[in-house]
Amino acid sequence: MAGLLNNLKIRDYITILANRQKQFGLADDSAPAGTDASRALARALHPNRQYLKVAAVTERAEDVKSFTLVPDPERGTKELAYFGAGKYLTVFAEIDGQPVTRAYSISSSPKASLEGRYELTVKLVDGGLVSRYILDNWQEGTPVEVSAPEGNFEYQPLRDAKTVIGLAGGSGITPFLSMAQAIRDGDEDFELILLYGSRNKKSILFAKELAQLEKDCEKFKVIHVLSDSRAKASEGFEKGFITADLIKKYAPADKPYSVFLCGPQQMYAFADKELEKLGLERKYIRHEMFGEFHNPAAAPDYPAGVPETVKITVTQAGETRTVEGASNDSVLQILEKNGIAAPARCRSGECGWCRSLMVSGKVYIPPHLEYRRLADRQFGYIHPCCSFPLTDLVLDVPEAK
Amino acid sequence: MRNNYDVIVIGAGNGGLAAAATCAKAGLKTLLLEKHNLPGGSASSFVRGRFEFEPSLHELCGVGTPDNPGDIAKTFDELGAKVDWYSHDETYRLIVPAEEDDPEGFEGENGVRVKIDAAMPAGFEAFSRKLDSIVPGSYESSMKVFHLSTLMYEAFDDLNSGKINPVKFLTKYGDVFKMAGHTVRECLDELGMPKKAQNIFTAYWCYMGAPPMRFDFLYYMAMMHGYVERGASMPHLRSNEMSCAIDKVIREAGGEIRYNSEVTRVLMQNGKPCGVVVNGKTKLFAKQFICNVHPNFAMPDFFRPAQIPADARRKINGRSVAASLFTVYLGMNRTKEQLGIHNYSVFISTADDSDDQFRLVQGKMLGNYVIINCLNEVIPDCSPEGTSMLFLTGITYGDVMQGVRPEDYKKLKTKIADEMITQCEKALGIDIKPYIEEIEIALPPTFSRYLNTPNGSPYGYQLDLWDSMLSRTIQYNKDQPFDNFLFCGASQERGDGYGCAYYTGKKAAGLVIKKLKEGK
Repeated sequence: MAGLLNNLKIRDYITILANRQKQFGLADDSAPAGTDASRALARALHPNRQYLKVAAVTERAEDVKSFTLVPDPERGTKELAYFGAGKYLTVFAEIDGQPVTRAYSISSSPKASLEGRYELTVKLVDGGLVSRYILDNWQEGTPVEVSAPEGNFEYQPLRDAKTVIGLAGGSGITPFLSMAQAIRDGDEDFELILLYGSRNKKSILFAKELAQLEKDCEKFKVIHVLSDSRAKASEGFEKGFITADLIKKYAPADKPYSVFLCGPQQMYAFADKELEKLGLERKYIRHEMFGEFHNPAAAPDYPAGVPETVKITVTQAGETRTVEGASNDSVLQILEKNGIAAPARCRSGECGWCRSLMVSGKVYIPPHLEYRRLADRQFGYIHPCCSFPLTDLVLDVPEAK
Repeated sequence: MRNNYDVIVIGAGNGGLAAAATCAKAGLKTLLLEKHNLPGGSASSFVRGRFEFEPSLHELCGVGTPDNPGDIAKTFDELGAKVDWYSHDETYRLIVPAEEDDPEGFEGENGVRVKIDAAMPAGFEAFSRKLDSIVPGSYESSMKVFHLSTLMYEAFDDLNSGKINPVKFLTKYGDVFKMAGHTVRECLDELGMPKKAQNIFTAYWCYMGAPPMRFDFLYYMAMMHGYVERGASMPHLRSNEMSCAIDKVIREAGGEIRYNSEVTRVLMQNGKPCGVVVNGKTKLFAKQFICNVHPNFAMPDFFRPAQIPADARRKINGRSVAASLFTVYLGMNRTKEQLGIHNYSVFISTADDSDDQFRLVQGKMLGNYVIINCLNEVIPDCSPEGTSMLFLTGITYGDVMQGVRPEDYKKLKTKIADEMITQCEKALGIDIKPYIEEIEIALPPTFSRYLNTPNGSPYGYQLDLWDSMLSRTIQYNKDQPFDNFLFCGASQERGDGYGCAYYTGKKAAGLVIKKLKEGK
């Protein structure tokens, strides 16, 4: 058969093939570098763990403290990972032999991390195991182990409006404090109008710092919304709750604005109804994660007839054991109470670090915490942090490295 | 022994998954180790708000139809991995915007001034006719190209059957050898394809990362043939569906998978690998190893310098890393119809010549070249009603992140994304920015974090005429550092692509199975 490539030669390929190994022979045989700028950046921004120590403790209010954390070079952390304002750190601890994790928003500025300083602010949670432990035990010099900065509660100029109305409740002020400082430092560029709900003037966290930031930065404004019936409205203070009318009062009338929310679950329930009245596009409303979900049995779609205790057979790194726990606890909590560490970070269903295979059994997942990938749902993967056992379970859980 | 395996597979990327599944199904005691908490490497997904994004897959040209399955569909069938495929009968659309004063410029869609606007259908005949309608006189050369690629596949089949003698093979398939020894450019010139038609024909270079002036025609056509013949397919639930399906096969065949389990060291005995250290503490042993980590990082990370054979060091230092990507994932609060998007894959470039497109992005972080995909075009229900998802890809070469400080990174990401989105808006004559509900931006460090490859490149080593798929395949044994430690994935024979990675994993597994069955 006549060919189509008649002016090209068959033997050219034979030469090319013969030359390939020769070409390698000419290369340098020194030890390969094993790194480049992309790898270095990835490692700097996303270390697996950061080993820190407490450098200072500041009392903010009753049962609320801020902890200044600095690198602990002796345990291998020389620099802190830089972060975008709004991110959180997951704290890893062991309390009475029980491995635990908790996510806390960073309340200090991104810039401070370059100077070797993060600040976490911890408020006592009712019956909170970890917050109680931290408030009682962390003092100057305490070694602390945290994750890289995580989370998606950040300003994004291509997505968000130029003006952000921040709705903060209680210790939900922390990511906004970081954002306000980032605006002041020129690391973020947007206008932040913060509606900050507190019980009364005395219970406002960071009152002084917020006032100072307002003075230093004209793109930042704070309005304290006091729920105590004895509180009085005055310049910079509103009385009652964060309602649609209040948002309208402070939001720009002539241009789009985004609403960012961070606070307790009760605040979200209230604020979300108010936001509906404003008819904002969904893209303009962003929530920080909901935090650990408790008491699933109170949910309207929770099934009947769930046993009080369940058995979980768990395989991790080739070892299998069977443990018992209460069906009222999340799968993650049951594992931790039995001394099994799982790779958990956000504990709100969103980050997916604890993704584990459910070989058999059934779990309840609160619909608003269903962040699993579609195929994961089909193939039986769950996020133990927001999955509640309805039957005995068989699980394959990755090691918490 | 509990900590002893027949084979340990390091890394659950596409190559590692295929390798582990093949070994487990052959009855080998198989352990798959993955440092992340989910499988797939590139073949994954992530959730932001009400969107679940496809992180990497542009299209699969190896799925085909039930009557005419391609190699990926066959691989999944053989393994018993079930995936719900969605197919698409268009290949790509190439848009080259024109400057105001460019005499070749004309008014295209939405009033955009363009030099080229070519939306190419699947099917050899339809593709060639469309090409001819844009560049009259190119039909014949286009059909010749597909004739050659069909001949090439016949040659592969004859080779695999082992029935043909070498002399007859050379006589019958002389052109196939010529394709292997010459670049895409040389061959298209030889076939008399007009220059402008070549620009459209070679626009697909971006998915393989090698330009027509450096890429052998044989491999370019091996890929292009499947794409044009069968069109493209996508898995229904993002590529995580494919990875989960293989994960399931491995477990059901008795294989073990450990996620969050990073190999930190390879243990040596008598100059050969005998085990691995996981997460810096657990020692596990095996007779054979298949490694899905890029050699440029696997060798220095897992071995001491003196343990790395000199030849392996030369092969790392003597090759260049292929393309790196910038990607932007957009969850839109409008449908594709509302946005005015009606193609799945659009290539947008300031240069019409594919070789120039390659030259322009060398060492550059911004501009010149962007691909925009809209998954809803293939999978209408991939995002909630009233929304759509866009996926933008920019391409670059080299260690472009040099000098970027951690504190600059977030702003850099936004700047690059802004520029890529703007380029798409201009070339398509549509608005994108006002409708962004979710956005995520990945630069080479993001890829480096998730794929653990040099420059964050998903594409392996640069494919080149001197280091082509065929040569890599012929010299496979010479390229492995130890006879019981075989690499798989994009760094190997076939370069980037899901089908390519699955192939290398299956091939390495086949060699391991053979060796263990022979008792070596």
